[in-house]
Amino acid sequence: MSPWEALALLLLLFSGVLVVTLKNAIHAALALIGNFLILAGLYVALEARFLGFIQIIVYAGAIVVLFLFVIMLLYAAQGEVGFDPLVRSRPLALLLSVGVALVLLSGLWGLNLAFTKDLQGGLPQALGPLLYGDWLLVLLAVGFLLMAATVVAVALVQPPRPLDALSPEERKEEKEVVR
Amino acid sequence: MNPYPLDPYWMVALKAFLVVVGLLTAFAFMTLIERRLLARFQIRLGPNRVGPLGLFQPIADAIKSIFKEDLVVERADKVLFVLAPLIGVVFALLAFGAIPFGPPGSFFGYQPWVLNLDLGLLYLFAVSEMAIYGIFLAGWASGSKYSLLGSLRSSASLISYELGLGIALLSPVLLVGSLNLNDIVNWQKEHGWLALYAFPAFLIYGIAALAEAARTPFDLPEAEQELVGGYHTEYSSIKWALFQMTEYIHFITASALIPTLFLGGWTMPFLEVPYLWMFLKIAFFLFLFIWIRATWFRLRYDQLLRFGWGFLFPVALVWFLVTALVVALDLPRSYLLYLSLAAFLVLLGAVMYSPKPARKGGGA
Repeated sequence: MSPWEALALLLLLFSGVLVVTLKNAIHAALALIGNFLILAGLYVALEARFLGFIQIIVYAGAIVVLFLFVIMLLYAAQGEVGFDPLVRSRPLALLLSVGVALVLLSGLWGLNLAFTKDLQGGLPQALGPLLYGDWLLVLLAVGFLLMAATVVAVALVQPPRPLDALSPEERKEEKEVVR
Repeated sequence: MNPYPLDPYWMVALKAFLVVVGLLTAFAFMTLIERRLLARFQIRLGPNRVGPLGLFQPIADAIKSIFKEDLVVERADKVLFVLAPLIGVVFALLAFGAIPFGPPGSFFGYQPWVLNLDLGLLYLFAVSEMAIYGIFLAGWASGSKYSLLGSLRSSASLISYELGLGIALLSPVLLVGSLNLNDIVNWQKEHGWLALYAFPAFLIYGIAALAEAARTPFDLPEAEQELVGGYHTEYSSIKWALFQMTEYIHFITASALIPTLFLGGWTMPFLEVPYLWMFLKIAFFLFLFIWIRATWFRLRYDQLLRFGWGFLFPVALVWFLVTALVVALDLPRSYLLYLSLAAFLVLLGAVMYSPKPARKGGGA
């Protein structure tokens, strides 16, 4: 392991720990941005340049902005959201996370990562034909999954019909339920 | 293999330094130029007291903003309050280095750009998305409701217009087949300007770039009448000046990117001079944007978002699909020229068409 790799690993672990331990939700989201940026740098260093930039644009850019929107709209007045719903669960969480890390590592163990195709340093000109050729079905399946998840999320938060759109009998029932 | 030779590191560092110094100087004098021009548009004189023609006004402003009292609100998040303007300025400065100003080797034998990335456009996107955090954090860290509202709505509008911006850029990228800014400029040198091939994309990019730079039809971040001052309500002295700096740098970068992407960059069909045309094009767009500011009104917040999502986004998508169709079926690219011309005529018609305002309700 070269010193740079060790540094990247340490920074990733440190920012990841910050994300879960910081009490202030905004600070945690900022640590998450830092984590994503380091990860993007790692991708670029590993010659996966397209992936690196997409990591910044999609994750560090768009997704964390959405997080921040939600946090600011919910807890704008007080930054602190630190109440602990599961008291004294830290040892258990530690055990679980180490277990997950071990499972993932064991999955990597016998994997042959030598890749036969020339990806030209991970440029989109090389990735495009691969994604939309050999892996087209996988790509479509992932896209379908994401769309299904979005539809479900929208359906879940759909409010019951607004009160003024209900007939008088229905409105009475609705009020009963509210009571 | 690489047609664009690499510079030694000390040269890259020197050029980066030059770009930063140049941008900061340009910012200082753009404030003066904008105020003078606005004054001309409104038939007044503008700042002309400090030095000849008011040329020392930026220096006076700089001294004033450095020595004014720097207030930090009691309820503010102290670290983020300081960090936010810095994030904004840094990411605004980062974008400019990717823009080429001439052919390889025209900067005293070195390259007239700081960065030449294969993924130049994606780099610009990444940087401009990160710059939004400056505004976002400034509003939250101020610990004030006005600031928070201002930052939420300006970052919402920035994100909305980022979509239109990105999709408008897809059709030039499809035609050129590369995300490298040098490749895009060279393609235009051979085939003609991209604005001719993708007029709607050019128009959408221009509008969205105005919104990204928070210029007047879209300058909601600082709608004084509605929000006191927007996300920088609680900022004073040099930190406030840093936000001004961020905005002007975005403005200059946008005026440099539009010609690079759509109007041939540093090239010109006649009289090849490396730097001249680029600077002239930048100056033209700077003037155009100031002109727009002097003549146009500000959109209301819901109108702004509806325009972004309901008009720019679908039109950009449709134009992207048309370009994709032409490229995928390998039709002659000149079809796009005719389609662009048709789009231009439609725009002209829409500008000329002014129906009588219908009277609503009765009376009088």
